[in-house]
Amino acid sequence: MPKKNRRKHPIVNFYWRKLAVFAFLFAVLGVGYTSVQTFSADTNKYTPPTDSADLTIALKIADDGSVIVDGQKLKQHIDTSGSSDELILPILDNAGIGYDSVHVLVTLPKSVVKSSIYEIKGIHGVDSTSVAAISDRAIDYYASGVGPDSTLSIIINMPPGTVDPPLLFKLYDAIANIKSSAWYIIALALPILTLIFMIGFITVESKQQKIDIPDKETDSPPMALPPAIAGVLYHQNVGPREIAATLIDLAERGDIYILDKERDFAFVKNKYDQRLLSYEKVLLSKIFRASIVSDSAEIEQRINNHLYSKKISLVASGIYVLSTRLGYFKTNPQRVHRKYQIIGMGAFFIGLVCFLLSMLIFTNPPYILFFWAGMMLSGLIITVTARRIPNRTTIGQEMMSNWLAFRKYLSNPEKMPFSFENQELFQKYLPYAIVLDCEVAWAKRFSEQDFVLPKWYISDELSQGLQDFCLSLFPIVSYVARSLASLKEPGFE
Amino acid sequence: MEIMTGAVAAPQEINVDVSSESWLYKLIYGGGIVFDLTKWLVLILVVLAIVNTFFVSIFVVSGVSMSPTFKDGDWIFWNKNIYNDTTPQRGDIIVLSYPGDPTNKTYVKRIVGLPGEKIEIKDEQVFINNAKKDEEYLNYSVGTDPDGIWTLTSDQYFVMGDNRPNSNDSRYFGPVSKRFIRGKAISRLLPTFQLTSDM
Repeated sequence: MPKKNRRKHPIVNFYWRKLAVFAFLFAVLGVGYTSVQTFSADTNKYTPPTDSADLTIALKIADDGSVIVDGQKLKQHIDTSGSSDELILPILDNAGIGYDSVHVLVTLPKSVVKSSIYEIKGIHGVDSTSVAAISDRAIDYYASGVGPDSTLSIIINMPPGTVDPPLLFKLYDAIANIKSSAWYIIALALPILTLIFMIGFITVESKQQKIDIPDKETDSPPMALPPAIAGVLYHQNVGPREIAATLIDLAERGDIYILDKERDFAFVKNKYDQRLLSYEKVLLSKIFRASIVSDSAEIEQRINNHLYSKKISLVASGIYVLSTRLGYFKTNPQRVHRKYQIIGMGAFFIGLVCFLLSMLIFTNPPYILFFWAGMMLSGLIITVTARRIPNRTTIGQEMMSNWLAFRKYLSNPEKMPFSFENQELFQKYLPYAIVLDCEVAWAKRFSEQDFVLPKWYISDELSQGLQDFCLSLFPIVSYVARSLASLKEPGFE
Repeated sequence: MEIMTGAVAAPQEINVDVSSESWLYKLIYGGGIVFDLTKWLVLILVVLAIVNTFFVSIFVVSGVSMSPTFKDGDWIFWNKNIYNDTTPQRGDIIVLSYPGDPTNKTYVKRIVGLPGEKIEIKDEQVFINNAKKDEEYLNYSVGTDPDGIWTLTSDQYFVMGDNRPNSNDSRYFGPVSKRFIRGKAISRLLPTFQLTSDM
């Protein structure tokens, strides 16, 4: 058997593929943001002529609040969100050309000049400014000696209701005028209510699907099920324990060997029998490719080549399908998880898109951002809690009760005398103990003395007692969680 | 140990290709992967964006209008939320939107005049309600001009840069309403840390 480099697993795994995905996302977001910024600046500016020393601009405010400068409709709109209908418009900003005089003739939509407040602001090299009403609907803004770096702005505050903005702007104003405290409350209430709803829903469903806790223990599995099926009935979810138990079960059945290499794991092919279940075949095909031996370095290398593994997803899918066909679940638990995951993901992504749009659209502090953040958090809560929604049928509940009776037997503190039969019993039920979360209690039932390593377990150590065996084998659950189970695709069904 | 191979069909031959699935499947599949990869990162970025938008932020000074207090390129830490509960005080260094272009132009200036006060500049000195204002934060050689008188309303503040000859401020664009004040500079972070209360 070739010696491979033995290395400990890092605390944080570093995957180049994942780094590439994040780099791509950041690049797209960065380029997108820059493009939006540039676009916004370019379309919102009035472009002055460059062939005259005296500039006269005709500016008209339409009934709907839009601003038209020399026939060119600007993106800027009258702001009706405050106590007046206000226009603040930079006419010239670092234009690169100077003017002896600038006249801005503003025509209002109504005869409200007398009840309006108006001023002109010039900085960075403007000699003088003045403003005067020339009729009850027109104002003349004037500046002289305007330098090429100057910023010249006109301001007018008209009585509220002077313009009648389109519905979209009214909606914008209505949102902008909601008090910040209201948004804080909504943003907090949304995830809290979601959490309360999900907990309530799970509690009600759990009460309806009450599982009788058995008084007696049974000393054998209630049914000859693969450990993974018992595990998914118990956890309602395929996790690392189900996959680890399947590996140990395969070893116990003589399909593979498990090698302990300085507290690391490797797997060796033995003979595959014809009774392998489909998900077991897929799991074996994930572990072994062409070689007879597959050690952790090789598995890790293959993991590094994938963001996710479809095969591991197929293993989980196979376990779900089989347990549903046996009548233990109303619908495939994976479908239930998927349904809520889609709802949660939808809320999350809609919240994210609206969050980004609000940041771009709203100029004042956009307190609506709190609402979208709350929505995203609610989406996350739905996806996390959905895994706990009970889904067992009456048959599933009865079977679960029987398995709990068996679990009671496995975790009974009473010691079992050593015998060859009990040693076999320990090995035989060990996968079930793992999926029923009681492998430590099961091991404690057996005496340290005279323990013989299982044939399917090969260790560098010359002799191992039961405690050493458990200490070296039980980390297989965390090993599987860290490697194989983490590859399950989130979008896979 | 006897190792045998090839007893059954090699499991690695199992076909797992699902590329022919519907677009909805692919959308959910891809969305699930993106969601799984980015959910916590996105949430952290969202929280940071909220903190940056509403509470505290950092800006880099561009220009010399606040020299010697702030120089071009200094990194300033500022609080956006402070004036929700308190009123701006004389001497505060504030971040404000330029009233002539509030969307695109942001300035950092010092508050010199408070609402209701009369500000007068004459003989290169600042007078508040006819009393001469001592401005220890200015370079001793710097005078203030042009001459002028401004009477502030109950909502207006008079702001100026510490580098009086090179600052566009209330002397040129007039007093500033509170709604244009966006926050208060708390400290300089770079090149050396210093609280603005000591400036």
